[in-house]
Amino acid sequence: MIMENENQFPPAPPRWAENFLRWYCAPHLLEEVAGDLQEEFYFNVKRFGKAKARREYILDVIRFIKPFAIKRRSSKPSNPTTGMIHHYTNIALRNLSRHKVFSAINITGLSLGLACCVLILLYTKDEVSYDRFHSNIDNIYQLTCTRIEKDGKEEKFAIAAMVEGPAFKKEVPEINEFVRVKRESLTIKNNGEIFNENIVWADENFFRVFSFPIISGDPKSILTDLHSLVLTEETALKFFNTTDALGRSLDIKVDGDFETFIVSGITSKPPLNSTIKFDILLSFNYLEEIHPDNGWHWVSFPTYFTINPHSNIKTISIKMEKVYRTQATSEIDEMIQMGYGNTTSWGLQPFSNMHLNTDFKGTPESSDPIYSYILSGIACFILLIACINFINLAVAQSLKRSKEIGIRKVMGGQRNQLIRQFLCESFLLCLIAFLLAIVMAEIALPLFNELSNKQLNLLYLLDLKLVIGFTSLFFFTGFAAGVYPAIVLSGFNPAKSLYNRMKYMGKNYLAKSLVVVQFALATFLIIATLFIYQQFEYMTKKNLGYNDRNLIELTIDKAIMDNDLMRTLKTEFSRIPGVEMVAPRNVGRFQGPTQAAGKEFQAIYEHVDEDFTPTLEIPVVTGRNFSKEYPSDPVNSVLVNEAFVREAGWGDPIGKTVDHMNIPGWGEKKMTIVGVVKDHHFESLKEKIKPEIFTYDPRLPLGKFLIRIKSDHIPETLKSMERLFLKMFPYDSFQYSFKNEMNQNNYKAENQWRQIISIAAVLAIFISCIGLFGLTALNAERRTKEIGIRKVLGASITQIIGLISKDFIKLIIISFVIVLPVVWYSIDRWLRNFAYSIEIRLWVFVFAGMLALLIALLTISIQALRAAMANPIKSLRIE
Amino acid sequence: MGEFEELVLLVVATLNGEAYGLNILHEILQQTNRTVRLNQVHGSLQRLEEKGMVCSTMGDPTAERGGRRKRLFSITAYGRQTLEDIQTVRSTLWKLIPRNLKTTI
Repeated sequence: MIMENENQFPPAPPRWAENFLRWYCAPHLLEEVAGDLQEEFYFNVKRFGKAKARREYILDVIRFIKPFAIKRRSSKPSNPTTGMIHHYTNIALRNLSRHKVFSAINITGLSLGLACCVLILLYTKDEVSYDRFHSNIDNIYQLTCTRIEKDGKEEKFAIAAMVEGPAFKKEVPEINEFVRVKRESLTIKNNGEIFNENIVWADENFFRVFSFPIISGDPKSILTDLHSLVLTEETALKFFNTTDALGRSLDIKVDGDFETFIVSGITSKPPLNSTIKFDILLSFNYLEEIHPDNGWHWVSFPTYFTINPHSNIKTISIKMEKVYRTQATSEIDEMIQMGYGNTTSWGLQPFSNMHLNTDFKGTPESSDPIYSYILSGIACFILLIACINFINLAVAQSLKRSKEIGIRKVMGGQRNQLIRQFLCESFLLCLIAFLLAIVMAEIALPLFNELSNKQLNLLYLLDLKLVIGFTSLFFFTGFAAGVYPAIVLSGFNPAKSLYNRMKYMGKNYLAKSLVVVQFALATFLIIATLFIYQQFEYMTKKNLGYNDRNLIELTIDKAIMDNDLMRTLKTEFSRIPGVEMVAPRNVGRFQGPTQAAGKEFQAIYEHVDEDFTPTLEIPVVTGRNFSKEYPSDPVNSVLVNEAFVREAGWGDPIGKTVDHMNIPGWGEKKMTIVGVVKDHHFESLKEKIKPEIFTYDPRLPLGKFLIRIKSDHIPETLKSMERLFLKMFPYDSFQYSFKNEMNQNNYKAENQWRQIISIAAVLAIFISCIGLFGLTALNAERRTKEIGIRKVLGASITQIIGLISKDFIKLIIISFVIVLPVVWYSIDRWLRNFAYSIEIRLWVFVFAGMLALLIALLTISIQALRAAMANPIKSLRIE
Repeated sequence: MGEFEELVLLVVATLNGEAYGLNILHEILQQTNRTVRLNQVHGSLQRLEEKGMVCSTMGDPTAERGGRRKRLFSITAYGRQTLEDIQTVRSTLWKLIPRNLKTTI
């Protein structure tokens, strides 16, 4: 034909359409449909030409997407193995739906356990991955400072002074670069609006050392200029409504005056698992320019080094030590003269280890790895308890399935086939539990985030390592729960199981010991919870020695060195109607050596005035408070606390003298003690009350106000205080805190642990109990006849309940005895973290034991009662 | 049974054992001038076979089908009975129509 010869190849329907048809069309219809379509195609080629025929073919293929063409005929399994797996899943599903209660117990327990594991894995991953995103992480080190006091006490810091970075870099060849950072809260003015922002001062090579991506700006000079300013995208949006903010400017208040900084770069926000977090970066050069500081000992700047790969850290430390000894000689001498007998040494800490190391003070957000261990331990506990449920129930149920196993064996079932069948069941159950666990984890995530102080997301799971982790967790759980029952059940002798009424072998020590383990874990958690609650209650409710309610703390940086301003503020604040009393004091908490009664010891120095003790409501035990009536008070009187008197070993301290005080320019003046105040906990209860000296010299720097306000009209009082504050300092923000809230915040970590442990305890006891419930049910079922006969012979309901409960109660008592020393030891260790703690009282243990027993008894008695109430005629008639 | 299914069944009967998807389609196109698609024909054949009115065997492969076989349909006794029943009902009704039938507009 002429038409067909136009092309070298005969026309053919479009290949892709044909393939598409082959893909979706049911195999049994494919041949006729594809055949008809192709025939039609050739018919159309002759009638309308190739193009139209192809178009029609494609349309026809699309038209065939109909249910009848897609639906597959149920195919017969061709492969014996897949066939058996099909069979196994079928049997497994039937078994699950037949024993609904047991399936529910197993699935609930396992999914709760797995959900805990999912959450903890997320948490641990976040902890371990901290800071790992820096590409140069292995060569970044943090400079550490260790101080050993005269009395041998060691203090470790992860911070240094301004000079160490440059000095060490210059003298130690292994050190390539140094970066100093300093975190500070500054006031920013933008379009007349005032913001209080956390900023970070950083050296210019910050972005060379750390891998924070720069979005715009010149990476080389981004922080070089004195007035450069780097913003994250979020901050840029906040201030300028655009991320394209290069060259724009912000006014930032440094040292009391607003200074204009110009945006030189935009970066993306640091990841959540970064130790160094910032919204705004400023150039460290500026800080160095306005506060040049050559001191070696006033440490406050985290300093990081990059070092040559493969250099020896020990050698570097020794070299740094040498530099320090030669360059800081005069300062070291001066320190010794001032009475500080401490020695300072320098070291390096790998940047990657920083987050999980709490030895050094000053690393932000560092966390004790013990938390990860404890949490993982708890998750494993709960999962273990759930697995034990599965094992116990599967073994106890085996009696019912002994006939099935017998028949299978008689029909030629191999032992390993039976093992495979049981494993298949446990894996199926585990799969259901696992899916449920993911859902539960997603639901519980917000709560968990709050408790663990993190911002985790289930999307983190899409990480190769974690996926592997979860898959292995799944296989491990399926295997751990299934392997023992599988081996035991598959080992049944078919002759026995089919002939006799099988009795479950022996005393079943395994099931018993597993129940003991379960309850030991649960009791452990209950007791731990009780003690943590008690300690928390103790810390938050303890009488602190002063009244922290309606007490406001207010720091005014401007007034630190300005005592006239302080006095003005005090009178102004006192005039506000809702304010009861105002007491100024110094800002920090300053500790130094002192001498009294011929001894030398460390004491806290507080600069106060005569209103301090009345405002805080601290009683003066002996002697008197400072008073304006004694003109010599400011010059030579001090107050001390009871701890000071104890330390000095005085019987009657009034009139005794403090011979040396570590206050700059104090000299050798002796101060007379005019009064002793009661010990009070101004810090958290984790700290011991230290000896304290209260001075009254008006020349000493103050800067903080403690203000007692009336309990009614608090908001109005605060409003008028803010108005007064803004009138005096229009470009500052009024920031105050209530002292009782600050005190509560000291125990934030304890509060979180309290909640986590109590949730864990509830879960553990719940899962243990549903397991126990299942076991009792099976036990009662097995003994139906026995119970029937006993009832016929006159046993009372109580006797029968006792009969069923007795065995389990024994187990729970054993578990309690085992766990007692372990939990005693752990609680004792934990309480040692607190300088002031509750005593370990026996009744708590007894109470917890009784509680566990009671809950278990309740669980058991539901089943026991049912068995005992049953009509014996019914139970005896069935054969 | 739907009207289209009846049509397909009739065509299967006329083609007398040689009926398969495509020639049924062409037959319907020729006889009725309706726009009919191949998937509709196949769908109807499926349903008719499920109802037991047609049965099918696989024919021989031909070259223009790319070496694929046809599925040849033939009408079953039940299918034939159904067609005849319909026919009877219709002719009975036809006979009842009065000769001087008036139609409205």
